[in-house]
Amino acid sequence: MRKISKLIFKTLLIIPFILSFAPRIHAQESIDFLRSTGKIYSVIAVVVIVFLGIIFFLIRLEKKVKEIEKKVSNE
Amino acid sequence: MFVKSHWWKILCVLILLYVLIAGLSIPLKPGIVGVSPVSVTSGTTTEIEVIGYNSHFLDANKKSAWLRLDENHLIAAKNINPRSDNTLDITFDIPAALPENVTEPYATLILDNDVDGTSILPGTIYVKKNTDNGNSLASWTSDEIVLYETDLPFLFPFRNILNETIRNTFFHIAIWFAMFFVLILSLIQSIKYLISKNHVCDIRAAAYAEVGIIFGLIGIATGSIWAKFTWGAFWTSDVKLNMSAIAILIYVAYGILRGSITDRDSKARVSAAYNIFAFFAMIPLIFIIPRMTDSLHPGNGGNPALGGEDLDNTLRMIFYPAIIGWSILAYWMSSLKIRLKTAYEKFINQNKKS
Repeated sequence: MRKISKLIFKTLLIIPFILSFAPRIHAQESIDFLRSTGKIYSVIAVVVIVFLGIIFFLIRLEKKVKEIEKKVSNE
Repeated sequence: MFVKSHWWKILCVLILLYVLIAGLSIPLKPGIVGVSPVSVTSGTTTEIEVIGYNSHFLDANKKSAWLRLDENHLIAAKNINPRSDNTLDITFDIPAALPENVTEPYATLILDNDVDGTSILPGTIYVKKNTDNGNSLASWTSDEIVLYETDLPFLFPFRNILNETIRNTFFHIAIWFAMFFVLILSLIQSIKYLISKNHVCDIRAAAYAEVGIIFGLIGIATGSIWAKFTWGAFWTSDVKLNMSAIAILIYVAYGILRGSITDRDSKARVSAAYNIFAFFAMIPLIFIIPRMTDSLHPGNGGNPALGGEDLDNTLRMIFYPAIIGWSILAYWMSSLKIRLKTAYEKFINQNKKS
C-alpha cells in the first residue's frame, strides 16, 4: 500500500515535467502537444491530476482505516 | 499479494483514466453550428453563409449542398464557395412558389463533401413567401440525395445544440448509473438484514446509501450545468428533474431517520424497511412517471437516449467503461466507509465491556 501511494505521488510530481517535453506536433508554429487542438490537452492534464489527487487521498484513507482496524482488533 | 487483493482498485483507476483522456480528447465529427440569414424569400437568389465546426471546406474537392423542405421537396445549391475551412457561402435559387401541402416552411440544410462527410442543420431556414412571385425559374424537385464516400477516423458524433457537451455522457449519465449500482447494493443489504438480523448488513446498507446520495447530488449538479448550456436554464419544471430531486430527498430522509433513532436494533430495523421503500419509490419516480408525460430529458416522453443516434458506437466505447469505472469507485468509497464504521462499532463495544 505504501509503495503504491508513493509511486502515485511521484507520478503526480513527474507529470508536468514530462508534459513540458511532450512531442511537438507543429514544429514550425512552435505549438507543443499541450497547446494543440484548442489546448484541450492542457485541460485533460488538469483533470487527470485532480482525479489522481482524489485517488491518492482514497489510498491514504484506506491505509489509515487499516491501521485503526489493526488497533481495534489487538485491544 | 498486493495486486491480488487490490486488482479491482487498480482496474478502476485505469478505466477512469481511459475515460477521462479518451472522453475529452477525441474530436467531434464535422458539423454546422450556424447559418445567416436564417430566413430566405421565395423566388430570389440568396447567398447563405454557413459556419462549420471541425470542418475542412477548403480541403474538400467534391462538395454539394441541398435545402430540403420535406421528403419530396428539395433544391440543390447553385454555387458553393468556401472562404475558409469553417466558413462557406452557398447560393440557392429559391423557387417562386412554395409547395402547397407544406404548412411550416422550415428548410433543412444538408452539406456533403468528400472529406467531412454529411452535415445536417435540421429545420432552421425559414422560407418566406414572396408576394410578387419573383423571377426565379427554379422549382422544387424530389431528386434523391447522393452522398460521397468518406473515410472518417474515430470521432464522436456532432449533435446540434449538444455540440461538445456530448462528452458529459461519460460523467453525468455514468454517475447516475453508479448511483443505481450502490443503491441496489444497499437494497440487497437491507433485505439481508431483515432476514438475518446481522448488524454487519445494516452498516453496509447505510454506507452504500450514503455514497449513493453523494453520487445522486453530483448527478443533479452536473445535469443542472448541462441543462444551462443546452436548454438554457439551470432548472426547468421538467418532470424528470423534479422527480429525481424528490428521489434524492427520499434518500436524504433515510439518513435523517437513522440519525434520529438511538436504539441500535430498532434503528437498524426501521431504516432497513425504509430503505426498501425508498428504492421502490425511486423506480417509478425516475423511470416510469417521466416516460408517461412530456419531458425534455433524453430517454423520456418519446425522446431517445441510450438508443438512436445520441449514443453511437464511438460513444459506447467510452460510455460502458465509464459506467463500470464510476461504479467501482463508488463501491471503493463505500467499502472504506463500511470498514471505518465497523471498526468504530468494535471500539465502542470494547469500551463498554471494560
